[in-house]
Amino acid sequence: MNGSVIAQLVVSGSLMGLVYALIAYGFQLTYATSKSINFGQGELVMVSAFICLTMTNLGISYWFMVPLGLMCGALLGLFVERAGVRLALEQKNEGWILLTIIIGLFFFSAAENIWGRDDRPFPTPISSEALQVAGIRITPLELSVALGVFAIMGIIELFKRKTLLGKAFEAVAADRDAAELMGISATKTIMLSYSLSGVVAAVAGLLVSPITTVGPTMASALVLKAFSVAVVAGLDSGFGVVLIGLFLGSLESLTSYYVGSGWREAPGLILLILALAVRPTGVFGKIPIKKV
Amino acid sequence: MLVVDNLYAGYGKSEVLVGTSLTVKQGTVVGLIGPNGAGKTTTMRAISGELKPTKGTVMLDSKPVQGLDASRIARLGLAHSPEGRRVFGPLSVEDNLLLGAYHRLPRFFGFRSRAAAELERVYDLFPRLMERRRQSAGTLSGGEQQMLAIGRALMAQPKIMLLDEPSMGLAPVVVDEVFSIISRLKESGITLLLVEQSASRAFEVADYAYVMERGRVVMEGKPAVLQQDARMVAAYLG
Repeated sequence: MNGSVIAQLVVSGSLMGLVYALIAYGFQLTYATSKSINFGQGELVMVSAFICLTMTNLGISYWFMVPLGLMCGALLGLFVERAGVRLALEQKNEGWILLTIIIGLFFFSAAENIWGRDDRPFPTPISSEALQVAGIRITPLELSVALGVFAIMGIIELFKRKTLLGKAFEAVAADRDAAELMGISATKTIMLSYSLSGVVAAVAGLLVSPITTVGPTMASALVLKAFSVAVVAGLDSGFGVVLIGLFLGSLESLTSYYVGSGWREAPGLILLILALAVRPTGVFGKIPIKKV
Repeated sequence: MLVVDNLYAGYGKSEVLVGTSLTVKQGTVVGLIGPNGAGKTTTMRAISGELKPTKGTVMLDSKPVQGLDASRIARLGLAHSPEGRRVFGPLSVEDNLLLGAYHRLPRFFGFRSRAAAELERVYDLFPRLMERRRQSAGTLSGGEQQMLAIGRALMAQPKIMLLDEPSMGLAPVVVDEVFSIISRLKESGITLLLVEQSASRAFEVADYAYVMERGRVVMEGKPAVLQQDARMVAAYLG
């Protein structure tokens, strides 16, 4: 084993891990307010990536396309909330599980029909010329992934802690009915959480597309890993998903180098099984503080 | 201020309220007493919209509000401090208070300065909350949580406040403290509907009281009158 090889593997693995963490964060956002998650989150990543690609092909410049893409992500999130989640939550049943899966499948076939099954390159103004930093090769494109993930998570966390609307968000997460008594509309807060989750999915799509290419199946592996990360970290810790994401990403690239690329998916699944068997609240999952 | 007429409500098929009627006039404290399971809390929940009434009317400031969402009714000036206090455990004491004033504060920035005067009033009333304003609400003692729940409702500057069982689960000394706060609020002219299991406690502060049994009001009157009533004494004050 060679130290610099390991360092290189850890760095490139971690970057992928950050993308898992970002998608997992999208699960957490909606789980916090509504105790529901969008099982079609991967399709949101993929559809927003396709929409962004289409906009680019129409000649819209990258930096103008980004905000439009995020807006599309928000709208897609709102669509999922309205079509898949709201009625089920109002009737306090679990219908959202099936409905969000179905909406995901619908997006998937729509994408296949509109954009075709082929993977397509995603043009980006960010260079993929590798830089040497302390003996580790890293491209500006990869750095942009890390930067993008931290930026969007940081903005959302600031919003939750510093604005009254963000605090209302946390209040709905803590006690939905009591929040309603303060004049906070739980329905609107849940809509907000789904649109934020959609924005997060769009950011993930924008960040990975130049690396993975864009195709209908681009996010299916990503979302499975993100799900492992969310379950292992717990559904309420933003810091937890980043840490577990980094860990899983590095573990995967080390496994595929030293054990064989066929084993790449193994660590995520093993972690998922371990977490569910040993600590279902997740490593960073809090046991809610209750005192009478 | 608040007129409830012939209210029916329940959970699923079981009806809990079968024609409850009561009136709370501006600037008065009205007690709602009765045994466990009489429908006191259900009455509160049906008024504040947490539970949709199946029949009857709730008039707030002579406008019908029955059937509206709880958040709408709250914005119309009714603050309901629910049974079991229900503070937002993971949030800080101050954030809990700020959220009490949610409907009249700006959503993004500047909400702290807009709430400053009200916040000061509440801290003045509950110095202990001031000391613990950065602590998460879940770590407070039961009595402190009750004070926070009352403070949170006051932050809304409500036209009327509904206060459900403030003595629940608290030691007698703490209950004394809570009721002395309620007396102070009464002096300042608050309009309050108070649910209380202990009739004698409610009579200390109430101008008027309703006694509920099995989902309807069976007796009403001024505390001084009710205290003389033989049935009342036998059932609740003996």
